[in-house]
Order: sequence, then structure tokens, then C-alpha cells
Amino acid sequence: MSLHKNCSFLVLIAINIYALVSSDAVNFGASDTADRLRQTPSLSPAVVNSPVVFKPVSDSSLSLLASLPEDLEINDYCSDLLLIFGQRYVAYVNCLVRAARPVMVCQNCSAGYSSLLDMYTNISSDQVGPGNVSCRDSLLRSDRLMLVFQLYNNLKNLWDSSGCKNCIAAGLQSPTNDTLYFMATLHQTTSCFDKYQHGNHTELCKNCKNTYKDLNELYSRMEKNQTLCIDIEDAMNMTRKEWSKKFNCSFPREETVPVIAVSSFMLFLPIIFYLSSFLHSEQKKRKLIHPKRAKSYTSLMNIQDKQS
Amino acid sequence: MANITKKVSWSSRADESGAAGEGTPLLNGSEQPRHSRQPSEGGSLCQIGRLSTVDLEEEITSDEESQRGRPKEIPHNEKLLSLKYESLDYDNIENQLFLEEERKMSYMGFRCLEISRWVVCGLIGFLTGLIACFIDIVVEQLAGIKYQVVKENIEKFTEVGGLSISLLLWAVLNSAIVMLGAIIVAFFEPIAAGSGIPQIKCYLNGIKIPRVVRLKTLVVKVGGVICSVVGGLAVGKEGPMIHSGAVVAAGVSQGRSTSLKRDFKIFEYFRRDTEKRDFVSAGAAAGVSAAFGAPVGGVLFSLEEGASFWNQMLTWRIFFASMISTFTLNFFLSIYHNKPGELSNPGLINFGRFQGDSVAYNLYEIPLFIAMGAIGGLLGALFNVLNYWLTIFRIRYVHRPCLQVMEAMLVAAVTATVSFTMIYFSNDCQPLGPEHTEEYPLQLFCADGEYNSMATAFFNTPERSVRSLFHNQPGTYNPLTLGLFTLTYFFLACWTYGLAVSAGVFIPSLLIGAAWGRLCGILLATITPDGSIWADPGKYALIGAAAQLGGIVRMTLSLTVIMVEATGNVTYGLPIMLVLMTAKIVGDYFVEGLYDIHIKLQSVPFLHWEAPATSHWLTAREVMSSPVTCLNRIEKVGTIVDTLSNTSTNHNGFPVVVKVSGSDEVFVELARSRLTQRKLQLKDFRDAYPRFPPIQSIHVSQDERECMMDLTEFMNATPYTVPQETSLPRVFKLFRALGLRHLVVVDDENRVRVCVSVYSCMSLMITFLSLNAMMMMMTAVVLTSHFWFVTLLQVVGLVTRKDLARYHLGKHGLEELQLAQT
Repeated sequence: MSLHKNCSFLVLIAINIYALVSSDAVNFGASDTADRLRQTPSLSPAVVNSPVVFKPVSDSSLSLLASLPEDLEINDYCSDLLLIFGQRYVAYVNCLVRAARPVMVCQNCSAGYSSLLDMYTNISSDQVGPGNVSCRDSLLRSDRLMLVFQLYNNLKNLWDSSGCKNCIAAGLQSPTNDTLYFMATLHQTTSCFDKYQHGNHTELCKNCKNTYKDLNELYSRMEKNQTLCIDIEDAMNMTRKEWSKKFNCSFPREETVPVIAVSSFMLFLPIIFYLSSFLHSEQKKRKLIHPKRAKSYTSLMNIQDKQS
Repeated sequence: MANITKKVSWSSRADESGAAGEGTPLLNGSEQPRHSRQPSEGGSLCQIGRLSTVDLEEEITSDEESQRGRPKEIPHNEKLLSLKYESLDYDNIENQLFLEEERKMSYMGFRCLEISRWVVCGLIGFLTGLIACFIDIVVEQLAGIKYQVVKENIEKFTEVGGLSISLLLWAVLNSAIVMLGAIIVAFFEPIAAGSGIPQIKCYLNGIKIPRVVRLKTLVVKVGGVICSVVGGLAVGKEGPMIHSGAVVAAGVSQGRSTSLKRDFKIFEYFRRDTEKRDFVSAGAAAGVSAAFGAPVGGVLFSLEEGASFWNQMLTWRIFFASMISTFTLNFFLSIYHNKPGELSNPGLINFGRFQGDSVAYNLYEIPLFIAMGAIGGLLGALFNVLNYWLTIFRIRYVHRPCLQVMEAMLVAAVTATVSFTMIYFSNDCQPLGPEHTEEYPLQLFCADGEYNSMATAFFNTPERSVRSLFHNQPGTYNPLTLGLFTLTYFFLACWTYGLAVSAGVFIPSLLIGAAWGRLCGILLATITPDGSIWADPGKYALIGAAAQLGGIVRMTLSLTVIMVEATGNVTYGLPIMLVLMTAKIVGDYFVEGLYDIHIKLQSVPFLHWEAPATSHWLTAREVMSSPVTCLNRIEKVGTIVDTLSNTSTNHNGFPVVVKVSGSDEVFVELARSRLTQRKLQLKDFRDAYPRFPPIQSIHVSQDERECMMDLTEFMNATPYTVPQETSLPRVFKLFRALGLRHLVVVDDENRVRVCVSVYSCMSLMITFLSLNAMMMMMTAVVLTSHFWFVTLLQVVGLVTRKDLARYHLGKHGLEELQLAQT
């Protein structure tokens, strides 16, 4: 494959992802798009083109690419790797989008991430594949855009911020026991909610209080252990919202009178203190001392007279 | 005696003293002490004719009749000068002893001194940083425990009911902790109360505030500030840090601790006011630098507060001390935070960093900033006026230590109560942030997963509240919360400052300012259709904080740099500067800065940058003390003892005169024949520095009283003198620029006059007194007093700091303060 093809393939992936995200997982066939791209070569200069500086170069890119020497092309092994990477990437993103709301990305898509990670590790490893070429150099760092790297990096950031590592077991295949237990408790609570939600909400508050409290405690324990991931956080968040906003089970403000009484008592103390110290404490007096002076003082009055 | 008659009627004396006053006091060396002892018994007689302010005048004349014969007493007010404050001897007393020693020192000796100055500065920085680190960690830990306990309690009672118990628990915890802090301050070291910045300002101005730089003060200060911050008062720990730095500096540079009775026999050369003050300014700078992570701000703080005696080398050394202090703090905090070696931690207060879009500001925002500066000035002036009245009340009525402790406890309890009530009735709930910026989120009646946003402001150490006001996302606080918070915190902070606890006013001011600043930011965003252009409210919080702080303390240069450094953001340099300028201009129109008010209320003879504007009408003759108590070069011990123990000669400076008549020769001969067995060294004085025993502690027997003392060696043979017609501003400049303690005023005739400083009396006495008593005596004489020698000179008066500080520009023109015993 020529470098040009390579470029357009990368662009294809980019577009593909974009399409996935924006158009509700409409899936183009990879080869389809690649074909179309080849037919419209103007697209790829447009992508490469963006900084004005490179314009002259990219204008003549077609002719340049044609004359590229053989050894600059990536070999088949690498392009295969790239292809698989692309497929897994697409699969993972697909999964992510489906699991976006309510958030289930850790439980559903961790396996996808794991395979993507494997692939990327493969690409970025030092190993020299057949044909004595290191795919790391040719795929990851041969151009300014470093698309493969960037793509991977984006997902990695997503993975890191989701915190899935905390609630998926070591092989990234299945949730940890903690997670499963939490999910079970959560299920208990939600089913309790379901059971009572049609009746009086005070009923619900009373009856589901225990399971909800257990869930809450479990959650805060997990928070301390740092075994939280976005799935759990989101589920908890939703449950709490339901509990407090929908069913209105937060604590009512009902002790206003004692609080006001105690605070007004407290506020009253300083007044007594200051009054009593004003009335009973002996006022501090200062003894005046008269300094020795040469003559009767030139009074300040005089000074002011002089001035005026 | 004749003197008394003179004093009784001022009017008649005015004419006589021209002749008599000039001739007699000087030449009557032996007569003089007795003469000046009189006022202690009959001092009140001379009060007629005293000039005072317009207001006081009436009060005094009406009292005059009834109180004649007794010392007059008036309630404490701001127009007094206390007798207990002495000047520092910034100007070396160049007597024979001093000169001999200086002349003995080689070039290498001076090089070594220079090196040891650097070492001392490094040590100062290091120890100050350590103390800051200690305070920081202890406060964090203890406050953490306290808030955890209260939080758990509140959570428990939210569920089962009985929140008023939590309120009580909070209030009692607060008052208990504050009580501890107030007790150590009120009973053990009252000078450690407050932020300490006024005291350090005075010290750098050249006033010796008793006990201000002692080890005990440092211990009480550190303990006190921990208690008051943990106790939840509306205070900060930054001001006390500056004081602590100063104490460390004063201690380290002396190479010993008098409190611990340890003398390491190092840095002995630095045991004098000149050197000590230089180091204290370095210590203050190191304190600022540790408190705010602002080394340059620290240097500028010292420069702004004590600028009259600065030079380039000193500045450079001080900068070194500041840097070392920041470094030490960073280093130890990095260990504490388990990231050893990471030195980018800022100071005690961490304002966080402003990043990204939030730092941008536009030309059209400048007028807004200036308007905010004006608001800050107004609010600052209001704060100061309220605090002024409160402080007067406290000085007059709440002066007993147990009352002070009670007051502090009440303030702590009320602070907790008000905070609790605010939190209880607040409906402002915000979702918990992802990275848990809230240290102790209180849920109370909010929905699960949300926290009470009023609680982030109140249920937290003030410093953290400032940070969250600066950096929390837009929308974290709703305007009502901020408005209420500003209002309550304003009064709480105003009430708290001046209590008998060690605490600073920096953080509360910043907090008030940040709250209303953020409010401004939010309102601006809502009243304009395109709200987003106003960027984030954190920026306005910063500007508001600067405005409020500037309006209260009125510092300019150093404050700008401190704010810039503490936020790590030079971009806001100009806005902050404009804001501080506006705040100062607006605030000064109404009332002085908080620190100046407190200095005034302490009756400290503080010299400002310049003489009062309309004081050109005054001359040295009018401000000087006269007649002066003079001593002979060879003086009777009894006379000296009497002179020194006389309370009315409070300035401790005595001209030494040589009589020209024949009889003097005899005395000199006599003295010579009994020459000293041991010669007194400058070292003897140094060892006693700075706590010289008072003359009263020396018992001098009747025989000893008759002995003679030669003052030659101790007197400063080349004192500064001015003719009596010198104008006040000129005298003022001399004092301010040279750091003088006394200025000798001589008469107009061009006769030679020499003033001599007292050191020389001592050697003769050794012969007669036991060595111990002798040494005490000498040190007492020499170090607390100055003797000048005046040959053939007519000394007509003596100007001291208090004489100058008495004049100030008040509302009704030039006013004169009164001296009082406090």
C-alpha cells in the first residue's frame, strides 16, 4: 500500500468514528468507505492540509506519493495489524455508545477495551515483525498527526476517567465481586422502589429505607476503598435522585423551634456579657504625665492662627 | 525648691526660663537630678498650659480644678502616648568602648561578620519555614478531627432529630478550644494577642515593644493561633506567622535564649539593636513568605513597613531568608503530603492556581475592577470604624484577663451558632463535585448526593473557604448564600479581631472580599444578556478579596505582590494594583488602616513617613523636653542612681557636661587616682542585652553613693545636635532617616557643644562596689540610657521619638497627643 492509501485509511477510521458517534451507530462497511475515499482524493489533502504552511507540499502530494520509494511503504504485516486495530476500535466504540445511558460501560465494554489494548500493545511493541519492520515506527510516529496513537489515546483517557479498572477484575473480562454485590444490593433497592412507587410515597420511604440505607453504606464503604467506577457511581446517583427528588424521602426540616431557641440564647449571651462588663467593670484610666517643656507651649491655636 | 514655683505658674516662667532655663540646668549637674525628681511627687502641678486637642481641652480644664494635686486620670483613648515604649538604638552609640572594639576588628573580621549574617538569615528562613509547616499540619489535623466529630454528630441527628444538640456540641467544642488559646494569651503573654503585624510594624519603625520578640511570645503565639483557627473563629494564621518569623529572627541572631537561659556564645556581635532590627525585618519577610508562598512579597512587606533603614545588601539577605523559608515549608509539606522533593507547594495559604480562560480579562472590565476597589475601600473603612469602637470599649472595660477569656469564648460560641443557623436555614444545595473539593460536605436536608453549599463556606477552615470561592465552578453558590455569608462573616470577623487570641485578619478579609466579589461576578453575568463574556466568578472573587483586604489593612506594594504570588498569576497584576489603589484612596478618606488604628490605640509613638503636613510652624524648641537633666563627666554615683530611678526622666538620655571651673579639675584628679582595676568591655553590655536590669534592682549603699564615676568611656562624644530653631519636619527627617533615639538641641550661640552618651561612668565604680552589683549597675546605666557629653555647650533640650510622635494631623488640624502611663 502506498502512504497515500494509508492516509486515506486513517481518515476513513476517523470519519467512521465520527459517524458512529454522531449518527447513532450507523455502520459503514469499512471497505465501502475506503473505496469511496479513493474515488474522491480531494478529501485527503483537505485533511492533511489544515495548516496553511503545508499547503504547497500537499498540493503536490499526489505526484510525490507516486514516486515514494518502496521501503517507505508499510508492509503487509503492519497494515494487517492496523486493520484489526480498526475493527476492534469500531467494536469498542460501538459498545460504548450503546452503553452510554444509563452508564454500563464498565460492565459491558471492558472486554472490548481489553482486546483493543492487546492490539495496541502489539502495534507499539518493539518486536520486529516479518519483513524486518517495526510497526511501531511506521504506524505510530511517522507523521505529525499520529492518528493511531491519538485515537488510542482518546479511548484510553475515556477508560481512565471512567475508573472501570476499579470494578473489573484483573483480566478485564468480568466485574469484581464487589461490583456484583453492589449491583445485587442495587437491584434489591430498585425493586423495592418499583414495588411501592404507585402508592403513597411515605410508605415507600418507610419500607425501602433499610435497603436504601444499606446501599448507601455499601457505597460509601466502596468510596473509601476506591473501588468505584462510573457504572456504580451513576447507578447510585440515579437511585439517590429517585429517592430524594422523585419520592421526596430526604429528611424534613422539622426542628426549627429548638434550633432557633438555642441560637437566640447563644446570641443573647454576648449582650449580657458586654452590658455587665460595661456596668460593673472598672473603667481603665490612664495617668497623664506632663512632659517638661522649655516654655509655655506655643499653642497649637497659635499655629492655626498663623496659618490662617 | 525654686523649681516648683517655676512649674506652678507657667505664664511667669515663660519669660524667666529664657534666662534661667538655659543657664542653670546644664551647669548644675549635681543639682539637676534632684530637680527632676520633683515632678514625680508634684508632677500634676505643671499641667496648666498643656496643649492638647480641642476635644480634650475642655475635659481637662473642667477636671483641672477638682483634681489638682493628684495625677490626672482619663479614660483610655487614641490620643495618648504611652511611656512604656522606648526607642531602639538603631544608631550605634559611638563611645570609646565601641570605637575601640570596631577599630580592633580587621578586614577579615568584617568579612566573617558578613558571612555569619548570611548564615543567620538562612537559619531564620529555615526555622520560620519549619514553624509555618508545624502550624499548618497541626491545624489541619486538629480541625479535621473537630469537623469530623461535628459532621458525624450532625449526620446522626439529622436522621433521628435533635439538631440543637449538634449546635451545642459545635459551640462547646469551639469555645473550649478557643478558651485554651485565650488563656495562654491573656494570662501568660498578652502581647501575643492579635495578628502581631502592628507590633512588628512598630518594631521595624524603631520602637522597642516590651516582650514582643521573646521565645515565650513565640510559643504562646504558635499555640494560640492553632487554638483560634481550630476553634473556628473567623481568623487566619498568616499574620501570626509574620510575628513568629520576627521572633525567630530576634532569637537566632542573638545566639542565645534568655528565657531558656542558654547562651551558645555565637553571634555576639549581633547583640545590639541595629543588627537585631535588621534580622527582625528578615524574619518578618520570611514569615510573610512562608504564610503566602510569596518570597518577593515578604521582602516588599519588610521594605514597606520598615523602609527607613534599608540598603541593598540587607534587601538581598532578606530575600535570601524569604526564599529559604518558602523552600523549607515546601520541602517539609511535600514530605507530609507523601510527595517528597516536590517543591511546588505554595505557602500556608494556598489560593490555588488560576488557569485557562478564567485568567483572561478585558479592557472594559477595568472600570468594574476600580468600582469594586471603591466598594472594598468603603467596606474596609466600615470594618475599621466598627473595630475601632469595639477596641476602645475593650481597652476600657474588658481589660481583666478572665473577662478577655470569657469574651473570646463567647465569640467562638456565637460564631458556631451563627454558622449553624445559616447552614440550617440554607436551601442552597449543590451536587457533590467529582474530585471532592469539599473537605467536609454537609448534607443536612439536601437531597442525597448533594451538599449544603452554605456549609462549604462556614463549615470549613476560613482558608479553604477562600479557595473554594476562588475556584469552584460557576454556579456552585447562589447569590443569596453569598450575600448572607458576606454579611454575617463581615460582622463576625470585625468582632473577632482584637480579642485576646492570636489571630490574623488577612484571611477573614480575603474571605469577605471573595464572597462579595463572587457575588458581583454572578450578578454581572445575570444582568447582561450574554452572560458568558464575564468569564468565571472566581476572577471577581479574587478582585473582591484584594479590594476588601486593601480596604482594611491599606497596604499597597507588598499586598499587590503577595496576591500576585499567592495566586501564581502575574496576569492579574494590573487589576489587583488598581483595585488596591482605589481601595486605599477611598478608605483613607474615612479612616486609617486597621493596623494603624491599633498602633494608635496602643499609644505607641509611631513615626510615619513624614512629619505632619502643617507642622512647619513648630521648631525644635517647642517640641523638645527641657530642661534637660545633665550629668558631669565625673559624677557621683548617688546622683546617677537618683537620675536613673527617676520615673519622669523617661527618655534615658542624659547630656554629660564638663565644667570649666577650677574645682572640676580636682574631681578629675581624684577620679584618676582611683582608677579601675578592671576595665569594662563592650561585651559586658552585650551579655546583658536586651534585658537590662532596672536601676531599682541595684542596691547602692550610702558609702557607694559618695563614690565618683567617670563617664568618659561610655559617652557618645559626637552626638547629633540641632539648633533650637530647626523646624519640626527637619528634626523628623533626621529621626526617620537615621533611626535616632535622642537628638540634642543646642542653643543658637555658636559655642561648642558636645553631647556624650553615658557609657563612661562605669569604670570608677568598680573600685567601690562588688563586681556583681557593679556590672548590673553599669549595664543598667549604659544600656537603657544615653549620656552625652557636652563641653562648653549649652544643651537646651532633648528631642525623643515621643516628642515627635505627639504631633499628628487630625480632623481639626494639627493635634497633640498626651503622654500617659499605661
